[in-house]
Amino acid sequence: MRALPLLPAFLLLLALPHAQAAPRKVDFNRDVRPILSDNCFACHGFDAKKREAELRLDLPEGAYAIHDGVQAFKPGDPAQSEALRRILAQDPDEVMPPPKSHKKLTPAQVDTLRRWIDEGAVYQRHWSFEPLLKPTAPAAPASVSPVDSFLRAELKAHGLLPAPEASREQLIRRVTLDLTGLPPTPAEVDAFLADGAPGAYERVVDRLLGSPRYGEHMARPWLDAARYADTHGLHLDNERSMWPYRDWVVKALNDNLSFDQFTTWQLAGDLLPNATRDQRIASGFNRCNVTTGEGGSIAEEWLFRYAVDRTETTMGVWMGLTAGCAVCHDHKFDPFTAKDFYSMYAFFNSAADPAMDGNILLTPPVLQLATPEQEKQVAALDSQISTKKSAIREALAKIEYTDPATLNPPPPVQTGETVWFEDAFPAGAKVESSGLPTAPTALVSGPEAQVHSGKASLRRQAKGVSQDFFTKGASFAIPPNGVISVWCHLDPADQPKAVMLQFHVGGWNHRAVWGEEGAIPFGRVRTPEKVSMGKLPEPGKWVQLKVPADKLGLKPGMKVDGYAFTQFDGTVHWDRLSIEHRVEPAKDVQWSWKVWSEKKQGTRVEELPPDLQTLVRGKKAAEWSPAEVTRLKDWWLENEYQGAREVVEGVRAERLALEATKKTLSEQIPSTLVMADLPQPRQAFLMTRGQYDKPGEKVSRATPAVFPPLRTQGEPTRLDLARWLLAPENPLTARVTVNRLWQQFFGTGLVKSANDFGTQGDPPSHPELLDWLAATFRESGWDTKALVRLLVTTAAYRQSAELSPELLAKDPENRLLARGPRFRLDAEVIRDNALFVSGLLNPQIGGKAVRTYQPDNIWEPVGFSGSNTARYTRDKGDSLYRRSLYTFWKRTAPPPSMATFDAPARESSCLRRDRSNTPLQALVLLNDIQHVEAARAFAQRILKEGGTTAEERVRFAWRTVLARRPTAEENGIVQEVLQKHAARYAAAPAAAAGLVAFGESKPDPTLKPEDLAPWTLVANLVLNLDETLNK
Amino acid sequence: MDPFLDYLQNQTRRQFLGDSGLRLGGIALAGLLGQSHASAAGGPAVHPRLPGFPQHAPKAKHIIYLHMNGAPSQLDLWDYKPGLQEHYDKDLPDSIRNGQRITTMTSGQARFPVAPSLFQFAQHGKCGRWVSELLPYTSQVVDELSVIKSVSTSAINHDPACTFVMTGSEIPGKPSIGSWLSYGLGSANDDLPSFVVLTPRSAGGQALFSRMWSSGFLPTRHSGVALRAGGDPVLYIQNPPGVESSDRRAMLDALEKLNAANHRALGDPEILARTTQYEMAFRMQSSVPDLVDLSKESQATFDLYGPEAKEAGTFAHSALLARRMVERGVRVVQILHRGWDQHNNLPKDIARQCKQTDQACAGLILDLKSRGLLEDTLVIWGGEFGRTVYSQGTLTQTNYGRDHHPRCFTMWMAGAGIKGGFSFGETDDFSYNVIRDPVHLNEINATVLHLLGIDHSRFTYKFQGLDQRLTGVEERRVIQELLA
Repeated sequence: MRALPLLPAFLLLLALPHAQAAPRKVDFNRDVRPILSDNCFACHGFDAKKREAELRLDLPEGAYAIHDGVQAFKPGDPAQSEALRRILAQDPDEVMPPPKSHKKLTPAQVDTLRRWIDEGAVYQRHWSFEPLLKPTAPAAPASVSPVDSFLRAELKAHGLLPAPEASREQLIRRVTLDLTGLPPTPAEVDAFLADGAPGAYERVVDRLLGSPRYGEHMARPWLDAARYADTHGLHLDNERSMWPYRDWVVKALNDNLSFDQFTTWQLAGDLLPNATRDQRIASGFNRCNVTTGEGGSIAEEWLFRYAVDRTETTMGVWMGLTAGCAVCHDHKFDPFTAKDFYSMYAFFNSAADPAMDGNILLTPPVLQLATPEQEKQVAALDSQISTKKSAIREALAKIEYTDPATLNPPPPVQTGETVWFEDAFPAGAKVESSGLPTAPTALVSGPEAQVHSGKASLRRQAKGVSQDFFTKGASFAIPPNGVISVWCHLDPADQPKAVMLQFHVGGWNHRAVWGEEGAIPFGRVRTPEKVSMGKLPEPGKWVQLKVPADKLGLKPGMKVDGYAFTQFDGTVHWDRLSIEHRVEPAKDVQWSWKVWSEKKQGTRVEELPPDLQTLVRGKKAAEWSPAEVTRLKDWWLENEYQGAREVVEGVRAERLALEATKKTLSEQIPSTLVMADLPQPRQAFLMTRGQYDKPGEKVSRATPAVFPPLRTQGEPTRLDLARWLLAPENPLTARVTVNRLWQQFFGTGLVKSANDFGTQGDPPSHPELLDWLAATFRESGWDTKALVRLLVTTAAYRQSAELSPELLAKDPENRLLARGPRFRLDAEVIRDNALFVSGLLNPQIGGKAVRTYQPDNIWEPVGFSGSNTARYTRDKGDSLYRRSLYTFWKRTAPPPSMATFDAPARESSCLRRDRSNTPLQALVLLNDIQHVEAARAFAQRILKEGGTTAEERVRFAWRTVLARRPTAEENGIVQEVLQKHAARYAAAPAAAAGLVAFGESKPDPTLKPEDLAPWTLVANLVLNLDETLNK
Repeated sequence: MDPFLDYLQNQTRRQFLGDSGLRLGGIALAGLLGQSHASAAGGPAVHPRLPGFPQHAPKAKHIIYLHMNGAPSQLDLWDYKPGLQEHYDKDLPDSIRNGQRITTMTSGQARFPVAPSLFQFAQHGKCGRWVSELLPYTSQVVDELSVIKSVSTSAINHDPACTFVMTGSEIPGKPSIGSWLSYGLGSANDDLPSFVVLTPRSAGGQALFSRMWSSGFLPTRHSGVALRAGGDPVLYIQNPPGVESSDRRAMLDALEKLNAANHRALGDPEILARTTQYEMAFRMQSSVPDLVDLSKESQATFDLYGPEAKEAGTFAHSALLARRMVERGVRVVQILHRGWDQHNNLPKDIARQCKQTDQACAGLILDLKSRGLLEDTLVIWGGEFGRTVYSQGTLTQTNYGRDHHPRCFTMWMAGAGIKGGFSFGETDDFSYNVIRDPVHLNEINATVLHLLGIDHSRFTYKFQGLDQRLTGVEERRVIQELLA
């Protein structure tokens, strides 16, 4: 060893593990279990169904048992241990693991096993299932925090020393980004640099913990875990209103709601006695899962999937356990049976939300967040509506209905026609026109004119969308079985792309279009708002276009108080708009209940309440129960039967008006999806092989047998489950939670597999530290801010991130923390940082999600045409500059500038994000309009606030983004490229003007584009520095 | 090699490549040894393959996956059932349906009338394959195809079925087949992504989901890069207005110097890895426009793919781009075509869909073949499930619709290592149940991996405590019968 000092220092370090020649005692959990788990447990483990040769190696009882005179592991006697002999066997029939598994132990692993047997083959339970006891921190000077004393003991064992503290600039930038997701301002940096008193850093931390930005930033990883998003996630992927839950998470974190409350409210807020509004909003955690509204889906399948998702998410987030395998069979590695899983599932399979989300914004159960005033208004409306409903019921009761289909001979047929347009718009109507070229409404007549009937026709020549219409002064009633018709003549030399009729009933919501469906952008396609009628009529002749009124959602009795003749491009003549009706009561769905029920059965009847809709579509009429028939028939009498119009219509119109008012009011009141259970719980079964239609053994609510029991009186509920997770004897919740926070600040968890604390997960790098932190967290009353403060005030966190080659070789992942944490910022922080330094950031907290910049054609190529998120319309103004937390999240096409930086799709719970480094990221930061716009706005600040010389301005940029001053070398490099850019833009003012005009906000008019453009590229450069993208 | 260097290299390779993200062993090593980092040209592969991959000599180096989203009717294209004419408008025999589940779109129908295909079938090629008149061009290349008529799936609705066909599992969160291949095999082209997805221009029909090309639990850089018909072909590929390539070059040179200075101060190899990514981004800014610039393609080539080949966002255009990508070494190209969900008006709608795709499918095969690319390119065609023999809605002499049918559907494969002029699997007289050689979707996937030199049972990624595989936990076989 005398030669060692002659070697370079880093070789010495590398040599150290070999220098510690005496092997430490074999530890089952650390050394042996991973070997057995990887190689043996699949066939000789927990899963009884897959167990081979009745041999079980996961428990000492199994491993020590003597079968036919042989013993798998004989404590103290490797030579007599059959398992070891088989591992070393050469014969392919004998060797273990068998060749077809493609697994083989390394010599080092064999040696570990041999030593372990030699030392007595002592088994331990899996570490994370052991009770959580608070270890004593290693002895250390008072100045060393307990967390640091654990870390330093491990560093010492590896022959490493901690790094010195980072510079104050680095430190305040790191902690500000970590606690608020935004960088410190130069003023905040200066204040910190000037604070010479002890505790300066702690004062910064306390200031940041008190900032409302803290909750916004800390909410983000939690929302990943909760799989929060703004759409349902499957099939149509329509919008969902869940944002009050997101805002609650922000508020709860800002208010430092203790983690036990935070947990209980989210898992069971709805079950708390006299649950508050916040507690019920919080229960939305279990409504954040993806749901479907896909036609044809089988309800049982989806109810099953939702419950599985909720079970897996709960187990993952609080217990760090992957339930995945146990959905189908007993877990191979962890002591969970499928029965354990389905007993947990039983807590969730009685949720009251439906299998089909209905593709609506607010799939029940929902909570309306009305102000007291709004609540009063709603109650008043409800009571009035209920009065009207009883009046309708009374009126209907008086009707003696005879089905005309049963009469012989059948009642006579009635026909007629009402003309709406012939030679003129209706008397008294206020006629208007719009579109280009601007031209007044033109009625043409005479021998030269194109006229189909009467004396005159309506003519219009258009470029783009153009129309003649009226909305006031006249109205027409829709007759039963109305068919609207119009005569239309297209100029063969100047054909339109599309022609359209529109009808106004309170609003322009009824349209029929011929030709290109998308040409005239009004209305949602495939709804009565826009019914596509096929090709354009043949040009050069008069053609009658017809559309049943019903197809446009125009119901008998409705009053049309406006119509429009609309076209895209071309020259069009219109003539004689009228509505015909023909009624044959014995064959009419509006006269004969029998005909209605036969015709509508098996189809989608949009007007019906959802449950009746499902009934009519999915069940044969013969299978309807008497109660269902009564409900359906009452609905029919009220809404369809024409013979009841006289007695019902007046009061029905009043009811509809009240309901419309209530709907308008409701739309102004924010609402959110909340959790609730069915009054009568569903039975739960162990689903064979994880198939929803293969129920096996019946199970009841219970927690996995391997853990301390659930304490409850009577049938356990989700509330009991939440309390069980938080019980002092629960070994997992506190460990899993502190680990996730550790991961957030240090980059990697003490348990690297933050989502897997089971036997297949990674063992903790510092087991005692993890337990100390977990116990401390629990003792503190689950005080999250106190824990965060504890972590970011450690010496380990405050270290310099400087990295020597030898340290890199020794600890590339920084698990030992011989240097400070340094890694790429998350997607949201990268964008928010750019907005913040540019001065564009709109700091508004909370509210509905915003649609910020997104390239064209992200939603369109994937979205289902009937989806309300098929087309992206970005917001305007301030909404473009909100924090990324508020960016609208469509799960089937997440915002690309976020997804490119590893933001998850939010389709399932995510407890650990990837951190990739790709060329697509470079393209976002270089070219995305929002980053270029931010660079230009930042350039404006540099020019106006950053002094007058280039050197001063570069310094300002550095201090604003990186919190430090540039080195002379850096300043030189930037000034050099600035000169290049300046020369180029001086010679190309148009290019300069183009660059600075990119983005919705206007460039500062007092700055010349030739001056602003070079600095825009410099700002873009600074925002692309690796140092900018890392904390 | 110097044992110390050897040790260091092994250490760093294992540690950096073993972790997620694009961590470049070579660069890390250069950083470690205090050298300035290698230039891009001489540097490490941008899309490295896993050590030991491919696991055996591959037949295929590239795949082009043609996904007909919405599920094409096997009865009207490939699965010829002449006997059905006699059953026109008769009820599907209970012995055939056998109580199997059907969607709630038709479960309420009073009856299930059999709808024979309206389209004529004829035999084509040396192999005498029966093909519908809807596919006049594809029928000319049947001697290149293995047609598999006995594929089934477990999902009955689009969303889970598309997720299944692309990721081997119905549950969202698993990597797509393209991501698995990118992860295992990387690609040789440093200037283009290893896995490219072509989405159609026109919206309409059943939805697509980004999870159909997402990397699931694999590192996110293996997600498919969607090459788009509208806007920039690759997101953010274009410089902002007023910024030329030379401006960008100047800026990136400064960025490289500043990052290098930061690396000298901090020593973190990720800093240099980032510079490498910026250089690749810069190269992509010219390689991608070059890829999508079809001006040098001959008229004869356009004629192969059909009149729409010049129009971005059409299937024909995508197919031509797919060939250009394969030429450039892109590992996986996935083309998504929408609008096959023909619950009603099937005869009219399927004819339109076929017109949009048929010629280009055949053109792609012929074009690849004439350039010698078909030898190592595997082409796959299929949907997410099949369609019912009974009509959904009213059946007339000229019109019918078909509901979802997971129990059997047809896919075809062609090219590298696949038998030409071959047909595999049979269904019953109603194309309702598989009666011979059933094929599970994950057997298709196992076969694809096999052709690319991968043993699907040994291609795993540890996630949630399991060695996850594309082909799932069940035993799956490579369909040896299809192999040439």
